[in-house]
Amino acid sequence: MTTTSTLTDRYVDAILRHLPGRQRPGIEKELRASIADAVDDRLEAGSGPAEAELAALTELGDPARLAAGYADRPLQLIGPALYLDYTRLLATLLTTIVPAVAAVVGLVRGLQGATAPRLIGDPLGAALTAGAHIVLWTTLLFAIIERTAAPRRTPARPWTPAALPEPPSRRARYGELITQTVLLVLFTTLVLLSPAVSTETDAAGDPIGVLSPWLWETGIVYLFIALVIASLGFSFAKYYARWSVPLAVTGSLVLIACAVTLIWLAVNDRVLNPAFVEAAGWPQSVPQWIGTGLVVTSVGTLVHTVAEGIARARRR
Amino acid sequence: MLDDELLSTHLQELRRGTVVLACLLILKQPNYGYALLDLLGRRGFTVDANTLYPLLRRLEKQELLTSDWNTEESRPRKFYRTSDKGVALADTLSRGWDELDTAFRTLKGES
Repeated sequence: MTTTSTLTDRYVDAILRHLPGRQRPGIEKELRASIADAVDDRLEAGSGPAEAELAALTELGDPARLAAGYADRPLQLIGPALYLDYTRLLATLLTTIVPAVAAVVGLVRGLQGATAPRLIGDPLGAALTAGAHIVLWTTLLFAIIERTAAPRRTPARPWTPAALPEPPSRRARYGELITQTVLLVLFTTLVLLSPAVSTETDAAGDPIGVLSPWLWETGIVYLFIALVIASLGFSFAKYYARWSVPLAVTGSLVLIACAVTLIWLAVNDRVLNPAFVEAAGWPQSVPQWIGTGLVVTSVGTLVHTVAEGIARARRR
Repeated sequence: MLDDELLSTHLQELRRGTVVLACLLILKQPNYGYALLDLLGRRGFTVDANTLYPLLRRLEKQELLTSDWNTEESRPRKFYRTSDKGVALADTLSRGWDELDTAFRTLKGES
């Protein structure tokens, strides 16, 4: 009987290894009795001892599964109670943080004057790394919650129809459209007027524009205004025309072009007129803060545009 | 024809939960793990050992079963018995089963 009892010992050991210490003695005693009963039953039916033990253990199945049953441990990483919260959080994090990380890395590389392969490769690599981290840690967090909160059987937050994502009402969207129009018209007017209207004047009494004259010399200011107006045009098209993929993609591309242009100008210090800063007596930190503010706003616009585009495409 | 896998999945779904009621009813007479497994099988309640043994401990933890070690025989065995709380649950579940049975009969009578 030595070989067969070794098999039972190994089976029982495999079970106990997966159980908390205080449960072990009771379960071991009971399980050994149950296995012995099953073996006896088969011996009476005419099996050989080795055969009987093998059959009894085979019937009990994988020890890890049985141990999970005893310990009331879930046999899934993330169960149905948490799964929806898990996918929602994961989707939100991936659609916001990954594009933001890629944009910031691309920006820094652009600022350092990196070569084209690095300019494209580094943001992609950073996005992949950020994505992998987000997936790993979010999954780990939910797997831990699944294992620690399960014994308490806390009911999941009850779902009510009020939680349904609400398509913004036509009226509210119209309000947004009007606000956007007013702001853009105001912004364009101020930009175009800025060389002629200023708080500071030079020795000859001519106004010193707050924005860099370089923008006018190169014509970039007109390009930027054209982009801004085009984005406004797409906002109107989105409101009045049927949503379509080409319309949405072009609209988003225009917005992205606006943001990227602004980032590029801010990073290269082409926004403010150095003569104006000097005349107004601003400390060095002010232009830096304005530049940082523009970059942050632009990155925010980029992220929002991408996230909204994805959300919109999903709803179709 | 129904394929075997589909059939066994649906039968399993239908039987889920009935083992608890069967245990609570049978264990009004104290009994131990392996004998209960055998008895359930003979009374037409197919259940695997690796499902039944953890279930017995869970029901005991929920105070629906009580247990005692019987050391009179050569092999000590843990005997389970349905508690008062378990009997009350068995009554409620039995009524639930009867109501379902009536509902099914009505359904089939109407069609």
